[in-house]
Amino acid sequence: MAAAPEADREISLDRALEAVAGGDRTAFELVYQRTSVKLFGVALRILPERQEAEEVLQEVYLTVWRRAGAFDPARGTAMTWLITLARNRALDRLRQSRRRPSDPIELAGEVADPEPDAEQQAMASDEAGRIAWCLDRLDGDDARMIRTAFFEGASYADLATRAARPLGTIKSRIRRALIRLKECLA
Amino acid sequence: MSASDEDDLLAAELALGLLDEAEAAAAHDRLRHDAAFAHAHARWQAYAAGLAADLGETPPARVWSAILAQLPANDNLVTSMRLWRAGAIAASLLVLALGINDWQRAHFAPPPPAPLHAAQPAPLVAVLSGKAGVVSVNFDPASGRLASVVSGVDAGPRAVELWVIPADGRPRSLGLLSQAHPGWRRAPGRASAALQAGVTLAVSLEPAGGSPTGLPTGPVILTGKLASAG
Repeated sequence: MAAAPEADREISLDRALEAVAGGDRTAFELVYQRTSVKLFGVALRILPERQEAEEVLQEVYLTVWRRAGAFDPARGTAMTWLITLARNRALDRLRQSRRRPSDPIELAGEVADPEPDAEQQAMASDEAGRIAWCLDRLDGDDARMIRTAFFEGASYADLATRAARPLGTIKSRIRRALIRLKECLA
Repeated sequence: MSASDEDDLLAAELALGLLDEAEAAAAHDRLRHDAAFAHAHARWQAYAAGLAADLGETPPARVWSAILAQLPANDNLVTSMRLWRAGAIAASLLVLALGINDWQRAHFAPPPPAPLHAAQPAPLVAVLSGKAGVVSVNFDPASGRLASVVSGVDAGPRAVELWVIPADGRPRSLGLLSQAHPGWRRAPGRASAALQAGVTLAVSLEPAGGSPTGLPTGPVILTGKLASAG
């Protein structure tokens, strides 16, 4: 299959997952080949201990094998489904294996980037590029807290503790940031 | 049908993991019966997945080996080898025993005369297996004859179509498979050139009469690789 990457692309990830739901091992291998680099990156971001990240990656793909039929293309792309699955599994492991991460968050009070130029905007054509680009438009502290929430399972309350700020303050500034993010992504 | 601004914000908070446990559980419940909210949540999940845009690292090969080792045991290599042999033999025997049915007589060219000499290229066989059933395929390069046996495939009103996917990645149809009868036919010319050891075969479900586009349009339910039986 490595000799024919075009062949791989012919079959979309959605179709491959559908075939995995039918017990197709070739399709399963195709899904692994095309997505494991990304999912291992996600697992490592959440679980810096490599051994743990590898174990979670195994669990994720065994779940894909058993539950590929639960993927609903109407609800989003296959990649989003897989990333969400990997993130949730890795966070479960993080919560089981140790206390919640509690490194303090230093709010630097950075100023948001100035308005972007058109060329930069044009580069962010795909969805993944778009969110990275829109996050860069936010106040640096806000963007960092949003990433911390997603990759470390930190709720508003956790963020408030770690940033040593009142819960209400953190909540309202992140909500404002989410509204800006939504406007940028729209 | 779009969610209110407040609901959209809640969907974002749920997707990003900002809510505490009780709030998250309540929001999760809403996903089930509030379509607009579920739609907003799906959109924010896609955005959130974009946070992984700059992540990626190749896992060590042992991860894939460990995954394979944990797949169900009744699905392992030994079983598929057995199936592969049984399927190949069954295909040959059934074809001999049952011959062709009228439907296939109408659709496919008559067989060429059986080869008289022994020095022929080895036949190629494949067993396409999956949860959906088993299809075994036997191709004789000398005569261009393709035999197949379908078992356990519940296609409903749909047609079962066989494809070869050569190295260029463009599937080529090998025709429809009859579920009721094993059969053989001459492989279509352009597709038969692609029938070589190592090539992937696939079975898809198509509208009655076969794919209207010349490419698979329905779900691919089985795949397997063609191997030399010689």
